[in-house]
Amino acid sequence: MAHVNITIDGTPVKTNEGDKILWAALEAGIYIPHLCAIKEAESPPASCRLCFVEIEGYSSPVTSCTETVKEGMKIKTRSPQVDRLVKSAFDLLMSVHHLECKNCPANRRCALQEVAKKMKFPLRQKTHQKIEMELPVDDSRSDFGLDPNRCVLCGRCIWVCNELVGCRVLDFARRGLNMSVSTFDGAPLAKQEDCTGCLKCVEFCPTGALYLNSDEDIIKAEVGRL
Amino acid sequence: MNADIDFEAAQKAFSSLKEKADAEWGKLLDDNASYVLVGAATCGRSAGALEVEEAFREELKSHGIEATVIQVGCFGHCYAEPLAIVKRPGYPSMLYGHLSPIIVKNLVQRFFLEEDPYFEIFLGAIEENDMFPRMADLPRYGLETRRLLRRCGLIDPENIMHAIANDAYRGFIITLSKTREEALEICKASGLRGLGGGGFPAWKKRQMLISREGEECYLICNADEGDPGAFMDRTILESDPHSVVEGMLIEGWVTGAGEGFVYVRDEYPLAVARIHKAIVQARETGLLGESVLGSGFGFDIKVIRGAGAFVCGEETAMIASIEGKRGMPRVRPPYPTEEGLYGKPTVVNNVKTLAAAPLVFTEGSEKFASVGTETSKGTALFALAGKTANPGLVEVPMGTTLREVIFDIGGGVPSGKKFKAVQIGGPSGGCLPESMLDTPIDFDSLIEAGAIMGSGGMVILDEDNCMVDTARYFLEFTQKESCGKCTFCRIGTKHMLDKLTDISEGKGKPEDIDYLLELAQNIKMGSLCNLGKTAPNPILTTIKYFRDEYEAHINEKTCPAKVCKSLTAYYILPDKCVRSCDACVGSCPPEAIYSNSKRIKVVDQELCVKCDSCMGACPPEYDAVIKISPVSEVPPSEPRPEKKETVKE
Amino acid sequence: MEVVEEQEILEGISTILDTEPEQFRNLISILQEVQERFGYLPREGMIKIAEHLGLSPANVYGVATFYNQFRFTPPGKCHIKVCLGTACHIKGGDLIMDQWKRRLEIDEGERTEDGEYSIERVGCVGCCVMAPVSIVQDEVVGDMAPNRVDGILLQHQIAKEKAEREAKKQAESIPPGGTEPAEEYPE
Repeated sequence: MAHVNITIDGTPVKTNEGDKILWAALEAGIYIPHLCAIKEAESPPASCRLCFVEIEGYSSPVTSCTETVKEGMKIKTRSPQVDRLVKSAFDLLMSVHHLECKNCPANRRCALQEVAKKMKFPLRQKTHQKIEMELPVDDSRSDFGLDPNRCVLCGRCIWVCNELVGCRVLDFARRGLNMSVSTFDGAPLAKQEDCTGCLKCVEFCPTGALYLNSDEDIIKAEVGRL
Repeated sequence: MNADIDFEAAQKAFSSLKEKADAEWGKLLDDNASYVLVGAATCGRSAGALEVEEAFREELKSHGIEATVIQVGCFGHCYAEPLAIVKRPGYPSMLYGHLSPIIVKNLVQRFFLEEDPYFEIFLGAIEENDMFPRMADLPRYGLETRRLLRRCGLIDPENIMHAIANDAYRGFIITLSKTREEALEICKASGLRGLGGGGFPAWKKRQMLISREGEECYLICNADEGDPGAFMDRTILESDPHSVVEGMLIEGWVTGAGEGFVYVRDEYPLAVARIHKAIVQARETGLLGESVLGSGFGFDIKVIRGAGAFVCGEETAMIASIEGKRGMPRVRPPYPTEEGLYGKPTVVNNVKTLAAAPLVFTEGSEKFASVGTETSKGTALFALAGKTANPGLVEVPMGTTLREVIFDIGGGVPSGKKFKAVQIGGPSGGCLPESMLDTPIDFDSLIEAGAIMGSGGMVILDEDNCMVDTARYFLEFTQKESCGKCTFCRIGTKHMLDKLTDISEGKGKPEDIDYLLELAQNIKMGSLCNLGKTAPNPILTTIKYFRDEYEAHINEKTCPAKVCKSLTAYYILPDKCVRSCDACVGSCPPEAIYSNSKRIKVVDQELCVKCDSCMGACPPEYDAVIKISPVSEVPPSEPRPEKKETVKE
Repeated sequence: MEVVEEQEILEGISTILDTEPEQFRNLISILQEVQERFGYLPREGMIKIAEHLGLSPANVYGVATFYNQFRFTPPGKCHIKVCLGTACHIKGGDLIMDQWKRRLEIDEGERTEDGEYSIERVGCVGCCVMAPVSIVQDEVVGDMAPNRVDGILLQHQIAKEKAEREAKKQAESIPPGGTEPAEEYPE
């Protein structure tokens, strides 16, 4: 595998041919905000619009999850244009996100909190009017639940359920702002016979949208993280 | 010449086909023959064309007159529908408009039996003649350059022989006689750019596919035409579908693709049926199939129906839809020419671009390039609608100014109203004011002005249209049609819409305009696909050119055009209202109109839902209902008399 | 649109899936065929289709809910589509939609309780010259105005009552064993 040498924020980084900038940066310990990218997936959705970077010679910022490394690339993860776009995307996400960190099962391990902390953005954005989606929560199962009010529509759970595990119980339904992660006909998770309860969807969820219900599983997950 | 195909066989087969077609068409054109061509595309039908056709048949039969009555497509002059072209011995073919079964009865009587041309409904003769004024003498037709519309309204779209007799498929035969590289050079020299709105040079896309020689590849014709107000692609498919089949054959030959798809939006059932029939007829005559006209070159086309999603006009979303998936756009690169339908190289072209392709070869690149401007060659086709005297399809050379199209050809704004803006490019486009009317119609000038060529919808707005409301309307559309994949479009358009709604309801604040501008720029830069990237355009152009209207809504709670319901009140002028008349009272759905002590009618502002019914009901000789904005300026009126409750003991 | 029982629909779907399988290797065209024949996509029908194509029901649901065309509840016998394309909007299309909603007392996408009417908002239907346009039971009505809604509903009501009267008369006048239809003499 050929090596490709690039610089990110002035730091030289050795990458492999075909690598995407996002993973190269993260592996080198350089943070780039991201929600929807999955390294193992065939192609990145590039839907969260948080991972913008500026590349010397390019007319405008590009998403680092879709951009392949090229020899000699000079990349900046922060710049006035990048920061403006990333903050804008983040504010938009937070404007429809049900913010209640204290009571959220993902508190302190949430990807949105990470973005806010690393980029010094407020979680409680003031740019836009807050929209409380007030969607029904599916708490029908004893092992895990789905709260769409905390969902950022990254699609990672859908990838896991369809491509990795193969149960195909979850998929995106509807369109636009009405789009949500859904079961067939929106039926309760408890009624999904094809769900094996593998809990991989919870593992992959960057926020508290998918969460563990049983104490046993929560403890197991915590132990696994330590 | 190409070694891998039998050009001679194809040419021979085509010649014999042309002979047959010419004979059939010739019968129609015979000096002693009579015919009636009734414009019966979708808008013709909704205006009553089928009843008119029936009337012609019955009337001609009842008088024992032998004439062929054929349904043709749309002539483009929709303002005069139902239309028919009538030919009888001794006269040129005559275009008649505003027909109805009764008028047809008179027409047959007068024109066929009494040789009276019936000038009251006569629009013009089609061909050169020394008896009657021609259509070409009227600016509406004379200033047009009909190339994409060359056969529309003049032939039976369901008869391939008519098309062939009128030059269809000859361009394809010429292409077959060249090598792929030669054909590509001709295309390049013609300067043809994509007419779906993007304006990307047609030859470039084809070259990308040629460079992938040997690999399976596909062609897609984008007939999704989701722009509300656009109906050019529909018209071409309904009136001259063979122009599209031929365009795809040419493209198929040049790129080496063996299969093509026509993706038609489902809301166009007649277009779907016509293109499907055209394909079937092409197969029957050997123009599609495993070996086109015996040449050895195989090409076939399949029709795919859309299922109702504006975003599927975006090429990667369309590809996903054809694959049976949710129509979500994909990141580019990789571009469809590298990885498209089923992962194979694919070229997506708009209907108009394909309909123009044959001309490049029948006319030659030099002649083709002689029409238009330096950088935008050929013609532009628009669907002119809204506040215009002559709505319908207008085709002009690139470089024609907006003023010429709207006033000289379109006939200006009717009813003595003042022109306010022209909306071009649908929800992705912009609104241009009077000061910009001398902008030439070409890809680059329009982008510079802040609009886009788009897919050719041109809607005229007058003094009774509110620009804030218009921007809100387009944002509402875009928001509903957003696929939801990316943050900026999904959530950003919602906030823009909410802000515009607030402004139109009188809840706007001075900082709102800057908020909209900032958010619009972010959405433009950050969205994944062009739906998102162009969604803010209506807002950006209306703020740029009509900022005063926004400020009136925000600072004075006034809607200058008196459209925004929360800022407008309906009021009955006491000195115009006539005591004995009650027309408005009955028309009012929430029963909000009462009579005061002088029996003058008064609108109860608390109950009024601004439905406009009273305005329509008030007799024109009284004209007592007016609209007032801001509502604070509504003069006080006598309060509604309390209803006397009858209490039953 | 005739109202068909759900069981009949499921049988109909099986027939669709069994005939011409090559033509229907695409999920969307199958859904379109079902929608066209029965007016909506029944729940059990989507499960059948999923099985046939080797997809999961959630996948099929995801595709069906993406597109405007598909309904999941039966439409009314008289389905009304109100065009809200640009030209129609500019000529007051919203006022007409409001009037339909007001008169029928239902919202867009809903059906009246008696199953008689349903309203749908549609994008441009391409009849911009006759804006504003409403499509009442597949018939295009151009140059609409709010005060024409009542007339159309009344017309429809009268036609319906007439049809019911005729049907009743037919049912009552046919003696057991049926009768020959009256011959039409040419004028």
